[in-house]
Amino acid sequence: MRTYFLRRLFVLLGSLFVIVTVNFVLFRLMPGSPVDTVISPDFTPEMKALLMERYGLNEPYYIQYGLYLKNLISLNFGRSFQTRLPVWDELLSRLPNTLLLLGSSFLIMVVTGVALGIFVASRRGSRWDTVLTGSAVFFGAMPGFFIALLLLLVFGYYIDVFPVHGTMSAPPPTGFWPRVYDRLLHLVLPVASIVVSGVGSWMMYTRNHLVTTLAADFIRTAQAKGLSKRRVLYGHALRSSLPPLVTLFFLSLPNIITGAVVIESIFSIQGIGRYLLQATLRQDYPAIEGAFFFIAVAVLLCNLLADFVYRLVDPRIEVR
Amino acid sequence: MILRKWLTVLLMITFMLCMSMGALSAADGAWDGNGPYVDEIIMPIITDSEARYLALLRGEIDIYPDVNRPSDIRSFAADPRIDLTMTPGLHMFYMGFNLQREPLDDPVLRRAMAHLVDRESLVFSVFDGYVFPLAEAVPESSPFYHRTAHVAEYDPQLAERLLNEAGYVRGEDGIRVDPRTSKPLRTLTLITPTYEESPTSAEVAVRLAQTFQNAGIPVAVVSLEFNTMVERLLRKDPVTGERDFDLFVSGWGLARYPLHLYTLFHSSFDVNGGNNVTGLRDAAYDAAAEKLWRPRTLEQAYEAAAEAQEIWAALQPYIPIYSLTYIDAFRSDRVTGYVEHVGYGAASNPLASPWTALNIRRVDQPEGRGGSIRWLLFDDPGTLNILASYTAFEDQVLGLIYDSLITANPETNEDYPWLATSWVIDTWTTESGEEGSVITYQLAEGVTWHDGVPFTAYDVKFTMDYLKEKKPPNLQAVWQDYSHSIVHDDLTVSVYYNTVSYWHTYATGGFLAEHIWSDVDDYESFQPWREPHPEVEGLTKLIGHGPFVFKEWVPGEYIRLVRNESYWRSQG
Repeated sequence: MRTYFLRRLFVLLGSLFVIVTVNFVLFRLMPGSPVDTVISPDFTPEMKALLMERYGLNEPYYIQYGLYLKNLISLNFGRSFQTRLPVWDELLSRLPNTLLLLGSSFLIMVVTGVALGIFVASRRGSRWDTVLTGSAVFFGAMPGFFIALLLLLVFGYYIDVFPVHGTMSAPPPTGFWPRVYDRLLHLVLPVASIVVSGVGSWMMYTRNHLVTTLAADFIRTAQAKGLSKRRVLYGHALRSSLPPLVTLFFLSLPNIITGAVVIESIFSIQGIGRYLLQATLRQDYPAIEGAFFFIAVAVLLCNLLADFVYRLVDPRIEVR
Repeated sequence: MILRKWLTVLLMITFMLCMSMGALSAADGAWDGNGPYVDEIIMPIITDSEARYLALLRGEIDIYPDVNRPSDIRSFAADPRIDLTMTPGLHMFYMGFNLQREPLDDPVLRRAMAHLVDRESLVFSVFDGYVFPLAEAVPESSPFYHRTAHVAEYDPQLAERLLNEAGYVRGEDGIRVDPRTSKPLRTLTLITPTYEESPTSAEVAVRLAQTFQNAGIPVAVVSLEFNTMVERLLRKDPVTGERDFDLFVSGWGLARYPLHLYTLFHSSFDVNGGNNVTGLRDAAYDAAAEKLWRPRTLEQAYEAAAEAQEIWAALQPYIPIYSLTYIDAFRSDRVTGYVEHVGYGAASNPLASPWTALNIRRVDQPEGRGGSIRWLLFDDPGTLNILASYTAFEDQVLGLIYDSLITANPETNEDYPWLATSWVIDTWTTESGEEGSVITYQLAEGVTWHDGVPFTAYDVKFTMDYLKEKKPPNLQAVWQDYSHSIVHDDLTVSVYYNTVSYWHTYATGGFLAEHIWSDVDDYESFQPWREPHPEVEGLTKLIGHGPFVFKEWVPGEYIRLVRNESYWRSQG
């Protein structure tokens, strides 16, 4: 087990090194430079050179790369070219909004999706199955931004019940509970947008796995033993379908951190997804590098976690 | 054709009148600048255009600056609760030529192509008439606009004649022949940003290409991601010294002073990374542009600008196409008193135009004083540090917090004394024996920083000295020629420059409070809004002398400013 863990850790660090190197090279290969995004007729070549010097971009690439690696190791991503704030601080300040938005969406999406999946799998071929499966395909095929805009229009304008931007009123109400209520109210539309566009996949995934499992021999044996339908479904079929669901859960977890670029932009939420988008558009190297490092670490750790949990939920898996 | 032209002009005038009627009645033409009248400005940060649109309709915001989607403009115009102001902007959208490539190095060909462009038609078909056709290098909203004798108006017959006389006759396949090679003209590439990034630019490019194609000049449109396009335009091949394009479409936001005639077209800017991407090199033009860059007086500046525009029109390095308008939307059932500023709009550029901020008031307040208004901000400002500001969103906020020494009359754009009540321009001899400008400013009495400390000539000197020492790139125009300042008394300061230029008058700034900034060593990492004021509770180190005081910024959510109770112009 220890050897396995060390091996996995080694692979993880190797992957991380490759990712951060690609991260460095890729954005420097992008056309233009951060100073080209400052578009003004009065911006002279001398000013551009001065700005490049301030940003440390006049150094040769190998020196920039060395500095970049040194900074990453010490978790110092430097200052954003755009805001001049430390990138790490910026990422951390945006993390709560992203975690709240995507954490709650993810939780609702997984719980509802799995529950609906079990429901329709146990009623395969019924009207419920047709309606819910059809709906899942319909909403799954819709682009997320379209669903968000639709909800924005319907519940933000025609039925004027929910706020359409931000995570709080400007200024927020005073008092703890009014603030909590205000925050929840602002979460409704963005969370609904993510849930509506994603719940179908979880439902279909669960349903399809369960349907396959329900046709297996050991289920028939359980039924022949006279076990109740409920016991067969939850005690045998669902348990057998759990490992792939758990894996999917952990592999999807990094999404909570990486942010929902589109949803955060549409609902003006100060999250990591929006930060990443702005940094990329402005060729803000320290911000891009910091954000991608953050995401890379999250993805690799969740993969590692998925491996271990998979083993826990499925005793048939052995470490060799 | 003449009838159609008259009709379009008539339509535009009617449209502008309809658009501006509400605003004029709301503002009663007044811009006394004796405000501010509202107690508080809240600036909600809304990044999505649909959410912004809904926010104005729902009454979550009162001011929506720079509305730019035709569908939103139409919808707002039809809403009786909303007033739209439409102000000509200081802006130029154009098609540029690579003058160092054949056959575009031939001025006759460029001129003929300029005569082929039907600007009115483009303005109406692509923009529903929400922009102004532009045929000159300086838009009419600038006081330096000069109607040139050589302006290339839409005249396809003249274009045809010019081309034929110069030997660009049509071949059998309809494509014109290059008289220098006697071969059909090669297909010219017209670079444009992609549809996704800039749909109107891409659309204009396609229509221009079609126009030239129909006239026998083959043009193919190439869409490039914006940064790739900028890279392509700015970079010169290190071996050949050439730029890799034929034609391109792009736009510039301009300033009140037409210094772009120097920085975009003087031959010294035809360098790798320089903004003279057309590669214009003309001795007569350079001489006129230099006079414009370093005029001794305002009169000289006007003369030089006119001369440069005349030569420019004859050389035709760009085909100007349209100039943007600032369309600002106001909830007229809630606010009134907004002021249209030619070139800057009514609410789009508070840093350049303080008038709406000073004059706006709520309709439901007795005597028009008090209350809170909501002024939309498109995105978070970067730093709220005036020395490290690069975004327009930042300027929108800082414009409400800081005042300038000189501002502009919103109707004429002429100088309007502000923190400096008067100034005298003279010359001096520098240490190296050169002649330089010296400008002596008389400052207004009773001006204080937001913490109550008087604003004096020492702050002006400190600002200039600090900038000279720190050299912030975005303010290079301010410090690059600055020499030193001499304070005569609390309200009189002489600022010395190493070169002679009338423009130095506007370069001088007094926006750094010495008692705050003298301790700031690393100005780039300074976040004044995050640091509490050393003495006054409730304030941060983000203090100015403008009509509003910074109170709060919740990143991603909103910014809150309150009325400066001791504002120096405020009456009552």
